[in-house]
Amino acid sequence: MIPPPPRLEMRGIVKRYPGVLANDGIDLSVGPGEVHGIMGENGAGKSTLMSVLFGLEQADAGSILLDGRTIRLHSPIDAIGHGIGMVHQSFRLFDSLTVWENVVFRAEPRRGPFLDVAEACRQVADLSARYGMPVDPMARVADLPVGVRQRLEILKALYRKARILILDEPTAVLTPAEAASLFDVVRTLSGAGCSVLLITHKLAEAMAATHRITVLRDGRVVASMATGASSETVLVQAMTGRAPAMRSDKTATAPGPIRLAVEALRTGETARPAVDGASFILRGGEILGIAGVAGNGQSELVEALVGLRPTSSGTVRVNGHDVTRAPVARRRQAGLAYIAEDRHRTASAAASSAADNLILGFHHRLPLARHGLLRTRAVRDWARRLLERFDVRIVNERVAVGTLSGGNLQKIVIARELAHDAPLLIAEQPTRGVDVGAIEFIHHQLVAERARGHAILLVSSELSEVLALSDRILVMFEGRFQAELAAGDADEATVGLLMAGGARARAGVAA
Amino acid sequence: MSGFFDVTFFDQAVQGITPILLAALAGTLCERVGLFNIALEGQMLVGAFAAVAGNHLTGSLAGGILAALCASTLFGAILGIGVVRLGGDAIIIGISLNLLASGLTSFLLRTVLGTSGTYSDPLMAGLPRLRIPGLADLPLLGPALGAEDALVYLSWLLVGIVALFLARTPWGLRLRGIGENPKAAVTLGERAGRTKLVTTLVAGLLCGLGGLQLALGNVTLFAENMTAGRGWIAVAAVMLGRARPVAVACACILFGFSDAIGLRMQGASVPSQLTDAAPYVVTLAALLIARPERRRAAMPTSTPVL
Amino acid sequence: MKRATAPAGLLAGVLTGGRRLTPTLLAVLAGFIVSGLIATTAGVSPFEALGALLAGAFDGPQMAETINRAAPLIGMALSAALPFRGGMINLGGDGQLVLGGFAATLVALYLPAPDAVRLPAALCGGMLVGGLYGVLAVLGELLAGIPVLVSSWLLTYPAKGLCSYLVHGSLHDPADALAATHRIPRGVRLTHLVAGTPITAGVLLVAIAATLIVFVDRRTSVGYELRMRGSNLQFARYGGVATRRQSVLVMAASGALAGLVGAILVLGGQYRFTDGALLAPQYTWSGTLAALLAGGEPIAAIAAGLFFAALQTGGFAMERTLGIPRVLTMVLEAVIILFLSMGGGLRRRFS
Repeated sequence: MIPPPPRLEMRGIVKRYPGVLANDGIDLSVGPGEVHGIMGENGAGKSTLMSVLFGLEQADAGSILLDGRTIRLHSPIDAIGHGIGMVHQSFRLFDSLTVWENVVFRAEPRRGPFLDVAEACRQVADLSARYGMPVDPMARVADLPVGVRQRLEILKALYRKARILILDEPTAVLTPAEAASLFDVVRTLSGAGCSVLLITHKLAEAMAATHRITVLRDGRVVASMATGASSETVLVQAMTGRAPAMRSDKTATAPGPIRLAVEALRTGETARPAVDGASFILRGGEILGIAGVAGNGQSELVEALVGLRPTSSGTVRVNGHDVTRAPVARRRQAGLAYIAEDRHRTASAAASSAADNLILGFHHRLPLARHGLLRTRAVRDWARRLLERFDVRIVNERVAVGTLSGGNLQKIVIARELAHDAPLLIAEQPTRGVDVGAIEFIHHQLVAERARGHAILLVSSELSEVLALSDRILVMFEGRFQAELAAGDADEATVGLLMAGGARARAGVAA
Repeated sequence: MSGFFDVTFFDQAVQGITPILLAALAGTLCERVGLFNIALEGQMLVGAFAAVAGNHLTGSLAGGILAALCASTLFGAILGIGVVRLGGDAIIIGISLNLLASGLTSFLLRTVLGTSGTYSDPLMAGLPRLRIPGLADLPLLGPALGAEDALVYLSWLLVGIVALFLARTPWGLRLRGIGENPKAAVTLGERAGRTKLVTTLVAGLLCGLGGLQLALGNVTLFAENMTAGRGWIAVAAVMLGRARPVAVACACILFGFSDAIGLRMQGASVPSQLTDAAPYVVTLAALLIARPERRRAAMPTSTPVL
Repeated sequence: MKRATAPAGLLAGVLTGGRRLTPTLLAVLAGFIVSGLIATTAGVSPFEALGALLAGAFDGPQMAETINRAAPLIGMALSAALPFRGGMINLGGDGQLVLGGFAATLVALYLPAPDAVRLPAALCGGMLVGGLYGVLAVLGELLAGIPVLVSSWLLTYPAKGLCSYLVHGSLHDPADALAATHRIPRGVRLTHLVAGTPITAGVLLVAIAATLIVFVDRRTSVGYELRMRGSNLQFARYGGVATRRQSVLVMAASGALAGLVGAILVLGGQYRFTDGALLAPQYTWSGTLAALLAGGEPIAAIAAGLFFAALQTGGFAMERTLGIPRVLTMVLEAVIILFLSMGGGLRRRFS
């Protein structure tokens, strides 16, 4: 007897980008009702593969079969038409519109030329009841918490009769409790015969929620196995090609002077402050990590600290100077350097040259400028020196940085900020979206800064990064610090619980 | 001051509001689909010129109407194609279109109509006035509200139509969705580019109606740069009304009345150079008071402009 | 056609630098083709019209005329280019220019001081008033979030209205049928640099301003900050650039430059303020387009201003010889920019 063909089969998928072979002959097979984990580090090719499957990108070679028949996907419309749905990591929702408007968009029930609002709401309510995802059809998306928005994304796919659902890093923005309820939904879907592709780099959730796991590395499948036949160690080895070890070798440093003192800081409107009374102290020779699920006020806290966002109350002192109301320039003068979260939007100017990008903040003083005049030679030498020291792969300092890879651009940002030699460094998601080699390099730089007696505020949603580098850890939840832990007391379970708003008593908080 | 607000006053106000309102509705649609349209002024101007030139060349009102609509829609198409298909910057294309409209109409005024400054033909057929029984019999406001040309009524109707279209039709929903988050819309299979393009065409059409009203509504003439900033006031009205049709219409009414009050004060021997500036000052004052910055946060489709 | 476009394209190409050479050339070419077609409405062949235009534009004896026209045009081009360099758009040049010219007239006529003081005072007065009016436009953005683009444009109308009112009323020279002020005494006029031509010290003033702007743009910290702002506003803020103060300063400089142009026009050629006379040549119009053609880069803006001034001189020649309205040159300029912006060769880099 011939077994029935799998629901989905991808054969020999190849996708090339300029200079990168993102997918190098990937095979993948998923059965009906199967929850299939796709694992791999940043840049392993997971996202590219899913983009190909959802019709966002066209493969250079290979084929996709659905129920044994070859299909062509030129756009997401084709994918949706074949019953493939995708929940992107960054949601694709219309924030100012209602839930029902988001769900029925472009597949609207009508009455005459008009929208049938009642029918739309009824269908949304039906779906959400059937799959155990309560949501109010009339609610405005902007008012919904992240977890509910994700449900809405799943509802959108189900409304379009998805039989294959791609979830791209779905728990990155969720608390463990929300994640647990997401996996309940995934089980319901699986029970109803819907295949789920779960992209993740979190071992625990892959082990808990999937039937099979495929691991990608450098664009190739390095392992594919039933989840029951796997283990966390096996997966880590497959993903990284080496044994798991992520403890940086830090030497002990004596606590230095107070570099950053924050007292009862608040930002945003009084009704729903993004940062709600944050207080902490950061000393020289110390890395203070701020952990938390993205969107719990970390970005707002950092923006308020560096002067890009107004504070509504509280004080910020950098090196003893009160800079609560000071503009960015004065804070930087007081001894603050800042690696911003978004290197494209904030920390670089894509159309400008590497030299222009490297001199910002130095452009008005010696050695690069005197009496308001730029010293051209000094600027050139400065840029060349930094490019060389930080091993940036670039033709010369006159090239616009918009063409650089993520890792190289991040090196430019870090080179500039470290060149300030500021006693306080705020590093926000310093390794997001850069390759493994660059991550190691950046971590090394941060530890070196600490060894030089500088204070570092590390904000990262990569829990492993926070745990590996920090001396102390603050856990942020809904705009407040949930707890402060010494590095020794912190492990993934404890911090994870706190990130979800878990009680501080149980986590054994240092007062 | 007795009789300050008389029939003529309201008539002038209604006449003054109409072209701004039509252009503002065009701007509203564009804003909602996520395209900052500052070419309203230019589109209205070519519409006004084409109305007069078409009327003159064909000797018929229908020719004028057709020419006005074609010309302004063509300008809308240039904006749409430039932004959507060729990836140009809406603001820069808009500025070029405004300047082009001003130069082009001046040139064609000389070559086609053989004059400079103002071309006026009192014998030319303007838009006929329609008398709405009942409405026209109201005291004081009657003649102003009930005996206007068809475009005036159409503009009122269009406020409702645009509002209903945006809120209650699938196409309105799609248009809003594209303006809010084009990526999300495309992911759901919306052809965002095409929708934007169609929107700019419709906006061009509406601006053409505005130009038509300006040139053939109360008068039958074309003067160089006769739009005189009305397109920009419409842009301001869209900002002030947060691209919500009824609110935008209210803003237009405010500006129209300030225009009429200016005209009336002129009658009361306030110099025209000062009263002419009234609508612009009122517009700026209204924007200052309303602080669109705060509203902008709530208006997701607005293009950041510096 | 080939003969017609080669020099123009070359110039435009050189002035915008290598990277934008091809789109600029194509845009200029397309501009000539389209305006040639538009010229046919005047009943002449496009080749004839453009031939006359270019012959006039690059005709040696007309050079003095071109230079004289180029000075205010380049002034307005730089006035528009300055904010554009930082990603802002000032459309209020007309208002700033007319107020500057008006203020200069008042100072030149009524300041109780010797001539030697009155002339520089008039120039400074023009710059001051123009600059303040530019700042007024940007205050709308800083206080209420009104885009400078919109507020600066809307502000031109009250400026024009006010000057027009005053020149019709209390400041009107009753001896004149025109709505104009009294004539400015000889001692307070800008001197002619080259005898027998309309070239005055105003050309020198614009040249000095242009040199200064190019220098600031390329060689100073302030210029660097403005360039970074234009490249990425958030990046400039992140690096500690005081962007609010910067936008006030830039609009002040832009308005002051427009005011200076107004003052030069009055003190160097018109010798009185006549209602509408300052705006009739539409220098703001061409200046804005020249700044766009240059993408805000000052040297390119200067070259673009020269190019457009030459075209306009050619326009006069074309009007004289063929009777084609010279406003065709403005159509040509606008069409070039339209093609350039549609072709993606021109874009504000932020957003």
